[in-house]
Amino acid sequence: MKKIILIPFLFFVLSASAQQRMFYLNWDITKPASNTGWMNNASAAGGKAGYRKFMERSENKFSTGLDFGWTTYSQYKPAETFQQENGAITTDYFNYVFQYTLTGSVQYNFIAHENFYVYGGLGLGAMYNKYRVYYNIWVEGNESWGFLARPEAGVIARIPGRSIGGMAALHYDIATNKSEGYGYNNFSAIGFQIGIVLMTRY
Amino acid sequence: MKYFLFLPVLLLLWSCQREPDDARLVDQLVVSTNFDPVADFSEYSTYAIPTDTIGFLSNTNPNDTLLIAAESSYPRPVLQAVKANMDALGFTRVDRNANPDIGVNVYVVTNIDLYQQVVYPNYYYSNYYGYNSYYYYPYVQTYAYNTGMLVLEIVDIKNKTANNKVKVIWYAYLGDLYSAIELIPQSVEGIDQAFVQSPYLAD
Repeated sequence: MKKIILIPFLFFVLSASAQQRMFYLNWDITKPASNTGWMNNASAAGGKAGYRKFMERSENKFSTGLDFGWTTYSQYKPAETFQQENGAITTDYFNYVFQYTLTGSVQYNFIAHENFYVYGGLGLGAMYNKYRVYYNIWVEGNESWGFLARPEAGVIARIPGRSIGGMAALHYDIATNKSEGYGYNNFSAIGFQIGIVLMTRY
Repeated sequence: MKYFLFLPVLLLLWSCQREPDDARLVDQLVVSTNFDPVADFSEYSTYAIPTDTIGFLSNTNPNDTLLIAAESSYPRPVLQAVKANMDALGFTRVDRNANPDIGVNVYVVTNIDLYQQVVYPNYYYSNYYGYNSYYYYPYVQTYAYNTGMLVLEIVDIKNKTANNKVKVIWYAYLGDLYSAIELIPQSVEGIDQAFVQSPYLAD
């Protein structure tokens, strides 16, 4: 079912004709919104790198793109005693999620001025999570892949006459990544990204 | 060409996969305890424990300085902490020749995967410290990491078999010793925790 959704979506993303292109590199600050008992800390250790084309025939109202993201979530847990069948184990520990995402996206630019864009869009793709628990010198964990949907809204501003500009956006990630061992039925997070863009000139 | 400016920045950010602060990770020992579910701890009242000697088992360095150095200050506070906890539980310490109900073994194992390779919570073995005046430990295998574990064991002497075999009825593993920032305070704290999470010993 996921493939049925993704294949035409990616075809649309990759085949769109364009007049204007842009690359961007953003600092991404995110906060988990699911299973917050295991991981609740916001993370500033993340980023996004992406590419977009603006569709000429829509007068730049539509754009399509690809986006790669990475984030490291971490949270310290004070010493806790875990009861077992015939005993117990006590330790403090760190929970970690190392996360990577790849999406294809479509945006509608509500404002599509030569140097200023306001957009809303949707990205669809994949999320890869590495869950890790560090305690003393030991580490354990597991990994999961999931289908990712990412609604996003933001602004892009370019310095007039220059190819460089800035970008800021809010996004919400909802993915199907599960981890029974750590209590994840899905993984969701809200994020704010800000960074630089390089755009082709008219 | 200008797009290549992104490459070094991208690589820099890509390398930002952070890992935990090592100092914070190792400032407390992991304390794991286990007990024999059929043991009745209320039937024991006396115990024996060495005063100033703990065992050392290593498959790597026979000259390890942690414990066997003549000036090592590690064994005595460790044994005192175990003794204090045993006394607080109501057990009475007696000489090992005074027919104690239980014996307490304390030793360090290095470079051995205790969690995966040495599991004998209800296993009978033939000796314990003081009973035949030497140590005997079964089934140890080399582990890839240099780790050190402080092991506490309570063995049931009262119910030893006719051929003098005794049974481990409780044990605690505390580690990693070699990564500890303050070895003795962390070990003493870990020993206290081992008894705190084993309330059934007071039954």
